[in-house]
Amino acid sequence: MIIEKGKNKDGTDYILIDKESLIDTLSSLKRDGYNYLVLMSAVDYKKYREVVYHLSSYNENKIIVVKVRPEDDTLPSATPIWDSANWFERELYDLMGIKFTGHPNLKRIFLPEGWVGHPLRKDYDLSKEQFVNMNDDGTDRVSFDPKDGW
Amino acid sequence: MGDSIFFTTLEELINWGRSNSVWPLTFGLACCAIEMMGTQGSHYDIGRFGSEIFRNSPRQSDLMIVAGTVTKKMAPRVRRLYEQMASPRYVIAYGSCATSGGPYQGAYSVVMGVDKVVPVDVYVPGCPPTPEALIYAINKLQEKIRKGEAGR
Repeated sequence: MIIEKGKNKDGTDYILIDKESLIDTLSSLKRDGYNYLVLMSAVDYKKYREVVYHLSSYNENKIIVVKVRPEDDTLPSATPIWDSANWFERELYDLMGIKFTGHPNLKRIFLPEGWVGHPLRKDYDLSKEQFVNMNDDGTDRVSFDPKDGW
Repeated sequence: MGDSIFFTTLEELINWGRSNSVWPLTFGLACCAIEMMGTQGSHYDIGRFGSEIFRNSPRQSDLMIVAGTVTKKMAPRVRRLYEQMASPRYVIAYGSCATSGGPYQGAYSVVMGVDKVVPVDVYVPGCPPTPEALIYAINKLQEKIRKGEAGR
């Protein structure tokens, strides 16, 4: 269901849809020719978070932006529709803490395993600095102690 | 030279030799590395100052030019590369990210200056610094080496 329709500042069309119709909308847009998922991003507006899909069509050279507001920070994964959604969703999980149900490999992509919190959220605690050190086997080790390692 | 005789101490002779063959490590972390590559290229050519060969192994290099942002994930790797270099070894912090964190002040993922990880001999400010600045830094490092003040 489309909640809101409009134009972004750069003139591209956007639609705001609800979470339940996300997968249906994305797959019908793909059938309409939007065969390329350019970008996925997320915005934290404090009251709610918004996940943004930028879709484009190779053949007709058109762009559409799909926005959705995930309550309780979960969304269905778009990986079955576009394979490129795989790493985008891992990035959003890593930095914004949005969980994608049905994702084949949902783990952190930039930060090492063991990092506490999701740093691009507005409620991320910047006062406690975290340090990354290396174990002997080359894996990362996260700690709050600056003297551990380097 | 003919029959000339030079008097010097062995230490000065060694330092003079070391200062004129500072081989850097091929090690770029971010956009500053582009300027470092430009410095190495034919237009600026740090080979004129004895640093012509960028070695691909830390075991064969004397100088680590930390060119770019040191992220927390990279910091232990920087430390390990530094420890793999043979002594005496020198470090240049190239660019404002490597000297102080630069535009990433207060960021969650960036080390605020590479001197928190390895000891630094020469700092080069700029975002990014020009190739001339790197050549100047290498000249300053050579001065320090000749005075016996640099290297660990």
